[in-house]
Amino acid sequence: MSTAAVDPIVIEIVKGALKACGDEMEAVMVRTSMSPFIREKGDHFSGLADRHARILYTTHDRSGPGMLETIFERYPPESMNPGDVYWVSDPYLLKGAISHTPDMCFIAPAFFGREIVGYSLCFGHFWDIGGSRPGSISPQATDIFQEGMSVPQVRIVDQGRLNDDLYRTILRNSRYPDMLEGDTRAMMAASRLGQTRMIELFERYGVQQVDAAFEALHRRSEHAVRKCIETNVRPGVYRFADYVDNDCVTDTSYRVEVEVAFDRDGVALVDCTGSDDQARGPINYLMHPDSCRMLFSRYLVSMDGTVHQNQGAYRAIGEVRLRSGSILQPVRPAPLGLRAHTLWRFANAVLGVFAQATQGKTPAGSPDYVIVIFNAVDAKPGEHFFCTDGIGAGQGARPYADGLDVIYVGTQKNYPIEFLESAYPMRVERYGIAPDSGGPGRYRGGVGVVRDYRIHAEKVVVATRMGNQQTPPWGVNGGRAGRSGRIVCNPGQPDERTVPGFAEGVMLKRGDLLRIVTCGGGGYGHPFEREPQRVLDDVLDGFVSREAAHSDYGVVLDETGLAVDEAATADERSALRPVAGMFDRGANFERLEAQRRRAGAAK
Amino acid sequence: MSQAASGYALAIDIGGTFTDVTLAHRASGRIWQIKVPTTPADPSQAFAQGIRRVLELAGIGAESIDGVFHGTTVATNAILERKGAVVGLITTEGCRYVLHIGRHDIAKDAYPYSWIRPERLVPPRRIREIPERLRADGTVECALDEAACTRALSELAPHKIESLAVCLLHSYANPVHEERVRALAASALPGVPCSISAEILPVFREYERTTATVLNAYVLPKVAGYHQRLEARLGEMAILAPLRIMKSNGGMYSARAAAQQPIHTALSGPAAAVVGAILVGETVGQRDVISIDVGGTSADICLSQGGQPAITGGGEISALPLNVPMVDVHTIGAGGGSIARIGANRSLTVGPQSAGAEPGPACYGRGGTEPTVTDANLVMGRSPAQLGRELSLDVALARRAILEAVAKPLGLSLEEAADGIVELLNNNMATAIRAVSVERGYDPRKFALVAGGGGGALHAARLAELLGIPLVVVPASAGLLSTLGLLATDLKTDFVQTVVQTSGAYDLEKLNATFASLERRAQAWFEAERVEPSTAMTVRTAGLRYVHQGYELTVRLDDAGASGRSSPLTDADVAALKARFHQEHERQYSWSSPSLAVELVNLGITAVGRLPKLTLSRRPKREELALPASSRTVYFGRAAGSIETPIYDFEALAPGWTVEGPAIVEQRFSTVLILPRHRASMDEYGNILMEVRQ
Repeated sequence: MSTAAVDPIVIEIVKGALKACGDEMEAVMVRTSMSPFIREKGDHFSGLADRHARILYTTHDRSGPGMLETIFERYPPESMNPGDVYWVSDPYLLKGAISHTPDMCFIAPAFFGREIVGYSLCFGHFWDIGGSRPGSISPQATDIFQEGMSVPQVRIVDQGRLNDDLYRTILRNSRYPDMLEGDTRAMMAASRLGQTRMIELFERYGVQQVDAAFEALHRRSEHAVRKCIETNVRPGVYRFADYVDNDCVTDTSYRVEVEVAFDRDGVALVDCTGSDDQARGPINYLMHPDSCRMLFSRYLVSMDGTVHQNQGAYRAIGEVRLRSGSILQPVRPAPLGLRAHTLWRFANAVLGVFAQATQGKTPAGSPDYVIVIFNAVDAKPGEHFFCTDGIGAGQGARPYADGLDVIYVGTQKNYPIEFLESAYPMRVERYGIAPDSGGPGRYRGGVGVVRDYRIHAEKVVVATRMGNQQTPPWGVNGGRAGRSGRIVCNPGQPDERTVPGFAEGVMLKRGDLLRIVTCGGGGYGHPFEREPQRVLDDVLDGFVSREAAHSDYGVVLDETGLAVDEAATADERSALRPVAGMFDRGANFERLEAQRRRAGAAK
Repeated sequence: MSQAASGYALAIDIGGTFTDVTLAHRASGRIWQIKVPTTPADPSQAFAQGIRRVLELAGIGAESIDGVFHGTTVATNAILERKGAVVGLITTEGCRYVLHIGRHDIAKDAYPYSWIRPERLVPPRRIREIPERLRADGTVECALDEAACTRALSELAPHKIESLAVCLLHSYANPVHEERVRALAASALPGVPCSISAEILPVFREYERTTATVLNAYVLPKVAGYHQRLEARLGEMAILAPLRIMKSNGGMYSARAAAQQPIHTALSGPAAAVVGAILVGETVGQRDVISIDVGGTSADICLSQGGQPAITGGGEISALPLNVPMVDVHTIGAGGGSIARIGANRSLTVGPQSAGAEPGPACYGRGGTEPTVTDANLVMGRSPAQLGRELSLDVALARRAILEAVAKPLGLSLEEAADGIVELLNNNMATAIRAVSVERGYDPRKFALVAGGGGGALHAARLAELLGIPLVVVPASAGLLSTLGLLATDLKTDFVQTVVQTSGAYDLEKLNATFASLERRAQAWFEAERVEPSTAMTVRTAGLRYVHQGYELTVRLDDAGASGRSSPLTDADVAALKARFHQEHERQYSWSSPSLAVELVNLGITAVGRLPKLTLSRRPKREELALPASSRTVYFGRAAGSIETPIYDFEALAPGWTVEGPAIVEQRFSTVLILPRHRASMDEYGNILMEVRQ
């Protein structure tokens, strides 16, 4: 397709219109959906694709590609009609374009005249779709059938008419059919809205101009990504590995490894075959090759800041090599519910590769998010009182700024305390920060959270999801690793006990207190290079303790605790302790690697 | 002369560049207008100067003034520039970091790799926790520990705090503990003003409520001091009429009330323009209007239906959530002074950087070299090279700026580049108009577009084309639309009470008791604002949603056909409310489901104290036909090309005048661009009406 004729002004207008449309679809989902997951937490996605099913725009930066191909396998474009809406959620049919069962995807083709000119897509993480546990995700799942229903490619709306038989069948399989109805209505409304907006764009500028603008936007993103690589990356082959603490059903840790070959302005090969075999528990991450490419391009696009994350953005990422039966390419019916832990280790490994290729001009490592699931077992018969609370953690420091304190990666929102307490039998007695959890550095890693829940029901069963206890997020260029989190029941009481990071069936009774302390991000640069005033500020605001200011940063405060003792600090810092190597991987990483080598040699 | 008979009112709107003053004789509609430069160091200076000059102009004495109405940006600027007070915050035990953590997310469209969290208005060192606990229903679970509270307050003293904020968990359901903290603070921190969240935003979600309360405390000392200075200036001029301030919700409140709850002035200026647009709309029989107000650095867009501005409870300011009722204005960071730039990857952007007043657009000849929207309009001949007597613009400088920075890099001709800059701004504005109309389920084609501000009338016709709007209205004093709005509104405040009641189990008694208590609060407010019973009225509202939804829709009881006034609510009323909710949900979001359970989330009363309104005057008719004052070549885009276009002087036009586009009408404070194929005429109020042909 020629782009010579495209008006540069039309490109800008089309770019703005795509974003506005994505935002509008999102607003409908948030305002009218019912799952707290979607409306409070924001676990949803909307996007638009061109006539060739290439993603043009997404509101979230790690989903989208690959969904349409799956629909086409059953319903090729020539079989589609105006007014159709398609539904799919089966992760294996989707080859990982959606990577666990609760994310339900809706797609609507946009017809201009008699031809399809594009598609609108959206998904939301649904509250409950059946399976072994309320919420459909369990750390104990050992196959995908325990994780609720999978919807294959179906035409849920046929030329404007809802397929009611199918709809009722699906709703019947949820513990919360009303919520499922509200959520699916919101998704279908959003996908139809995207369809309408796309058609309006074609009405306004005509097929030729809009198609040409789409192509120009793909090329612009590709150009930005290539330029980013060319400017920053030293061509060569780099490898990085990280660990998922365990697979929830055994105590074996799982290794994720990626080896990347960069050429001058692109990635020639992403080799993931060195990663471990698939797990018995639900940490398997079924990675679509395009999802892998997107994890590369999201970092590169973030460095540019002016282009959309679209299919053009990952044209510069070449072959993705995956090994069937591995943790990144599991075979059905392996469970997938907790794949986020493996996904985020992989995304961090990509950053680790970039760190080596750019002499450390990248953010330090970040931990996974943390989730706690509460099930009130004394609810009335027929009621399943349950709550899934997502908790943020500290993010890696940047070469120019501190890491972000308490962020839920994946850009989602927390539940307000006032929402939790009005809806569930619990009190949140503390929602604060975890002092000293951020990796020390010239730029400090972000701190994690302390969140205390007091149980107000007779009996509650808790499941937990917290990674990074074995290998915390690494520090870069002299920065230290972040500090791991922990989960404790009744801290400071005679019956105090530690709860594992991946646990199911933890019994709590009325009056018990569950404390979640989450991990901090890695630091950047040597902590002795941090300005003493900023260390003091961190002490005054509670992010760093006075003791850690001394031991980690070499900053001594005077007796008031309100000022830096300049002389003592200079003295302390004169003994600058050099840090060897690009990364600080924390205390356990080398031990795990050595175990792995021994096991390999034994084979 | 009795007060009522004199009937003169002053309206003062202070913007970034100019302070606009309108003096009006409300009954006859006679108006006098003045623009003076804003005095940023002390805005009350321009305020007084403008009043003096307009009184001179009209030959009216101070004693004839019976009302002073003001649109202000003091609070807005303090927030945008982060120049507010040193605030201390008292919160519930365990919640010290709620403000820092926020919603544990990052800004929309940002990446976690590169996003920097905006600095919080209160650092944790100035936040103290106190032992106390309410339940979600407002009952006390743990009594307030007064000794600990006093200790916490005195710990804040060394931080030299200038303003105190209090936000305790679940205080939206019961203010008792917050009120007690305020009483204790009066002795522990004498002289420090105190803002409590139960008064600022009694709605659940602690981060958003804390932010609103902290914002109030943050701007309070500055606004209170400013209002004192204004009242002193009025006193010096012997103007004894009460000073009233425009609220973000489009109503007025007294300067005294505004000094306590200044956060309600965050959108004071934009709200005034919206009310002005409604007033103008009514003169042409249009109660459904979309208004645009295009200034130097930004453009404000708002939708009003049935003579009421759209109100949101989910707004934000300077990247902070502000969920108090505000006119649902969408602001684009682009206006006349916005700079056009080519970024990486040959992408063209217009704004948000602005050339401001200094150095100003390239054509001002004050050293600005980057092209702006004003330069683009000048190059195309759309705006005049002479602005009033004071400012003549340099077309050559504008051409050079556009040629170098935009035309050459993109391979476009000078005119194409200039048109591209304006077209991009127009499309950004059109997107914002879609956001307030189509996204809310309103069809813009059923609305009239009212253009205000210095630049609105230059862009309105093209916007109408882009959106299919059939009618554009440019008021006779488009450049001072906000001051008209200040003279056309009422005293207004909103009271809301959370009462969650699920379908099928409505407790009518409780609902009626809640309305009664809201009614009492409204009566107390009427007394405080000295509203005569004959001018007082209340509107009852209810917020409803489907069970499990997180956001409610507000329905007026009278709209639902339920009893709008004070008679007790009946089962039939609740049924009518539900029916109206399903309808409204369908209209806004394109779906509804009568089988799903509906819950009532809150009840509200909007209290209104009616004020005398400005009646716009009719413009005298003339016999002779107005002829163009001159003509010039104007570029109308690639399709239409350059056309020799007649230029009319607004002052020479009279009702009944009509013209076929293209044409330009030059007003004192703005320029009206009439596109080819459109027809324009002047109505009896001096409005220029453009019929837009698609």
